[in-house]
Amino acid sequence: MASLGSFLLLASFVVCSYAAVVSVVGARRHARRLVESGIGAFYLVCALMTAASAVMINAFLTGDFSIQYVAHYSDSVQPLFYKITSYWGGLDGSIMFWVFLLSVFGSIAVYVNRERHRELIPYVVTTIATVQMFFLYLMVVHKNPFLTYLSGPRADGEGLNPLLQNFYMAIHPPSLYTGFVGMTIPFAFGIAALATGHLDDSWLRAVRRWTMFAWLFLSFGLFLGMIWAYEELGWGGYWAWDPVENAALLPWFTATAFLHSVMVQERRSMLRVWNVVLVIVTFFLTIFGTFLTRSGIVQSVHAFGSDPVLAWLFTGFMVVILVVSFGLVIWRLPLLRARNDLDSWMSREAAFLVNNWILLFSAFFVLFGTMFPTLSEAVTGNRLTVAGPFFNKWMTPIALVLLFLTGAGPLLAWRKSTLSNLVYQFMWPAIACLGTAAALAALGVRVWASGICFSLCALVAATIAQEFFRGANIRRRNTGTDIFTALVGLVGRNKRRYGGYIAHLGFVLILLGFGGMGFNKDTQVPLKAGEDVKIGRYTLRNTSVKVSDDGQKQMVTAYLAVFADGKQIDTLYPAKWFFRKHEQEPTTEVAIRRSLAEDLYVTLGGYEVGTQVANLEIHVNPLVNWVWMGFGILALGTGIALLPERVYAFAVARMPIEAAATTTALTLILAILFATPAFAQPGMSGDQNTRTSFYARTDLEKQLQHEIVCTCGACGHANIGECRKDACATSHEMRGELAALIDQGKGHDEIIQAFLAKYGSEEMLGAPIDKGFNRLAWLVPYLLGATGAAAIGFAAVKWTRKPDVQEENVAIDSALEERIDDELRDLD
Amino acid sequence: MTHRYIKIGATTAVLVAAFMGLMWSTLREGTEYYKHVDEVMTDQQAWQGKRLQLHGHVVTNSIMRKPNTLEYIFKVQNNGQVVNARYTGIVPDTFKDTPGSEAEVVLKGTLTSDGFHTEPNGVMAKCPSKYEKKS
Repeated sequence: MASLGSFLLLASFVVCSYAAVVSVVGARRHARRLVESGIGAFYLVCALMTAASAVMINAFLTGDFSIQYVAHYSDSVQPLFYKITSYWGGLDGSIMFWVFLLSVFGSIAVYVNRERHRELIPYVVTTIATVQMFFLYLMVVHKNPFLTYLSGPRADGEGLNPLLQNFYMAIHPPSLYTGFVGMTIPFAFGIAALATGHLDDSWLRAVRRWTMFAWLFLSFGLFLGMIWAYEELGWGGYWAWDPVENAALLPWFTATAFLHSVMVQERRSMLRVWNVVLVIVTFFLTIFGTFLTRSGIVQSVHAFGSDPVLAWLFTGFMVVILVVSFGLVIWRLPLLRARNDLDSWMSREAAFLVNNWILLFSAFFVLFGTMFPTLSEAVTGNRLTVAGPFFNKWMTPIALVLLFLTGAGPLLAWRKSTLSNLVYQFMWPAIACLGTAAALAALGVRVWASGICFSLCALVAATIAQEFFRGANIRRRNTGTDIFTALVGLVGRNKRRYGGYIAHLGFVLILLGFGGMGFNKDTQVPLKAGEDVKIGRYTLRNTSVKVSDDGQKQMVTAYLAVFADGKQIDTLYPAKWFFRKHEQEPTTEVAIRRSLAEDLYVTLGGYEVGTQVANLEIHVNPLVNWVWMGFGILALGTGIALLPERVYAFAVARMPIEAAATTTALTLILAILFATPAFAQPGMSGDQNTRTSFYARTDLEKQLQHEIVCTCGACGHANIGECRKDACATSHEMRGELAALIDQGKGHDEIIQAFLAKYGSEEMLGAPIDKGFNRLAWLVPYLLGATGAAAIGFAAVKWTRKPDVQEENVAIDSALEERIDDELRDLD
Repeated sequence: MTHRYIKIGATTAVLVAAFMGLMWSTLREGTEYYKHVDEVMTDQQAWQGKRLQLHGHVVTNSIMRKPNTLEYIFKVQNNGQVVNARYTGIVPDTFKDTPGSEAEVVLKGTLTSDGFHTEPNGVMAKCPSKYEKKS
C-alpha cells in the first residue's frame, strides 16, 4: 500500500507538470485542444490525490505500522475519529492534505468558471498546478508521508499527542487549511488576469465568492484554535500572540482588507492595483505562514520540528512568488490605472481605504513582531523577544479604530457625504455611543481601553440596527407586510450588504469579549481540603482530591464546591489526566463555569493526594463567551452573503413561509441588538450608480416601465420609468432587467411573468393580477405561525415546490433565468 | 501633480516617523533579552536589572518548596554556570528535577544580586514539541 501511495504522489507530480505546461502553451497558441487537455490533466490530479488520501486513511484505519507516518501519529487503541484526523496531524501528512484540498478546490473553481472566464482558465490551471507541484515536490523528494521503515513494521504506533485528541483540535487544522488553500484560487485568477491582460473587473467577480468562502474558513479555523487553547491548554486565555497563531492571522488581515476594497473597485473602479496586490500578498502570507510553522525558524509551541532543507525550499518558492507576481503587476501597471479619483474624505470609499491601510498595517506589524526575535538575533546578535503585552499595546488602538470604522463606514455615502446626510445618518449611532460612554463613566469603568471599546461597540451596533430598521421599515410599507417579513426580504434583496452587516455585528461581539479582558482576575493558590479561596464574587472550597483510572488514562481530580452570595451554586472538577504512553505529559482538564457575564475558570496546577492539597489556578474571565458567539454570528453573516443568487430567488419565491420560520431567529438577533428607535424616512442612503440609465427605447419598454413599480422604497411606489432619483439603485437595476428582457424579444406577458418569478411576489406590479390567490399566499404564514413549529416545518417542506402559477413559466425560462442571474450579478 | 506628491510624501514621512517613534518607545519596555544562563552569569553586572528570558536546565534535586505555599527556590545551570532562582506560583507539569528528567526551562524575570527573580507565570518548561516526537 505504501508503494501505491508513493506512486500516486509521483504520478500527481508528473500529471501536474503536464497540466501546467500544456495549459500555458495552449493559451499562447490559441490551441483549444491543448487547453482542454491541460484542464483534463488538472482534474486528473484531483482524482490521483483523492486516491492517495484514500490510501493514507486506509493505512491509518487498518493500522499499517510499516509506514513511518502512521506509526508516529496513531496507535491501535485510538478512537476511529482520531485515526482519521491523524492524517493531518503531522508535517508530512499535512502537506499532503494541503495538496489534496488544493486539487479539489482548484478543480471546482476551474469547472465552475470554465465557460464564463474562458480566457483566464489556462493560466489559472498553470498557476494552481505550479503551486501543487511545489508541495508535491516537497513530498516526493523530501517528506514522503508514505515512507516505510527499512527494518519492518512496528508492533504498534506511538499514538497521537493527547493534547490533539480534542474535537476542536481535530477540525481546527482542516478548517484553517481550507482557508489557507482557498486563498490560492483568488491568487490564481489574479495572476491569470495579469498574464492575459483581462484586467477589467470580471476576474474579481470570479474570485470574490471564493475569497469570502476561504475567509470564512480561516476565521472559523482561528476561532477553533482559540477555543481549543482556552479549553485544553489551561492557561486561562485564548490568544497568546504565538508565532504560529500570528501566522494564521496575517492572511486573515489582508483577506479582510481585500473583501472590503473589492467593493470600492466594483463601485468606483478605484484601487485596482491595490486589489491585485492584496490578493498576491494574501496568498504569499499563507505560504509564509506554512513556512513559519514547518521550518522551525521561530520558536513556538505549535511548530513542527526544525528542518533547514524545508526552510530553504520554502524560501526559494516564496522568492519566486514575489518576483513573478510583482513583476506581472509592474508590467501591467498601465492597464491597472484607476478610472476615478477620490472625491472626498467624507465618503465611503475613503473609509474603506483607511480600513485597508489599518488592516494592512496590522498585518505588517504582527509580521514584524513575529519575526522580531529572529531579526534582532540576525542584526545585533542578541535575541530580543517581544511578548503579549507588546502586541496588545499596539493592537488595542488599532482594533478600536477598526471598530469605529465598522460603525462609521456604512453611514457614509459613496463619493461624498453632505452635511445633512451626515447628521441624518450619525445622529442615533452617536447618541448610542455617547450614552453608553456616559453610563460607563458613571459606573466608573476605566476609560482606556475597555470603556472606549464598549462605547464604540454601541456605536456600531446602533449603526447596524439603524440600517436594518430603516431598510426594513421602508420595505414593510411598500410590501404591506409585518416588519420581520420585510427584514427577511431586505436581507434577501441585498445579501452581501446585509450579510456584511451581520458579520460586522459578530465583529462587535468579538471585540466586546476582548474588551472584557480588561477586567480579568486571577490567582494561584495551594488549597488544603476544607479550605476556602475567594475570587471576585466566588468562594471555592476544596472538598477532596481523588485519583481514578479508566484503563486509557489515570485521572487526578479536585472536587471544588463553588459558593456565591453564601449559597453553593456549583461544583467544579478540574483534573489532570495521564494518558498511557504519555505519562510525562499529563493533560490539564480545565473546569469552566460559563455564563454570559463571566467564566469561572479553574485548572489543577499540582496536587498532593496524601495531604489532599490542590494547587489551583483560578481565573475570572468576563465576557469571554461573547467572543465565541461573535464568531458564530460572523459565520452566519458571511454565510448569508455567500448564498448563491439562485438560492435567494428560490427563497424569496416562497418568502411568506420562510419569513415565519426565520422570524424567530431574527427576533433573537434583534434582541441582541440595541433596538434604536429611528423613523424610516424616504431617501435612505442610496447607492450611487455611475452607469448609464436605461431609458425606454421601444413603446413596449415604455409601457412596462410604467407598469412595474420600484421596490426601493425611497420613491413611494413610483414606477421604474419615473423613479430616477440618483440615489435609487433599485429602479436602475430593474430597468436594466427590463431592458435585458426586451432585448431578448420577450412579449409583455412573458416579461411580467419573468419579473414575477424573480421577485416572487407582485410587489412590483402596479396592479396585482390574481387577488384571491395572493391573499391566500400572504395569509398562510400567519395561520401557520399560530399552529406552532412543527406545522411550520411541514409547511416549509411542502412550499418548497413553487406555486403552480409560476411553475411552467420557470421551466420554460430556466435558461433565461440563468442569464438574468448572470447579468444581475454584473449589475450588483 | 507635484503638489499632490509633496502632500503624499509629507503625510507618509510624518506617519513613518510617528510609527518609528512609537515603536522604539514601546519596544524598549516590551522586549526581553533571550539569553542562556552561562551567557548571563559570565557577565552578571551587565545584565542585572534587565528583563530577561533565561534559558537553562534545572539542576538535579535542586527544587525546594516552602510547605503549603507555592514558593519555589531552585537552581538553573547551563554549561557549568549556575544561577539561583525563585518563583511563586503554579509550575508546569514538566518542571522537574528528578535525575534523568531535569526540565529545560525558560524563565522570565530579572537578575538581581541575590539570584534570579522570576515573574508570575514566568516559568516555561520547554517540551520537545507538541506535535513532533523528540528525534
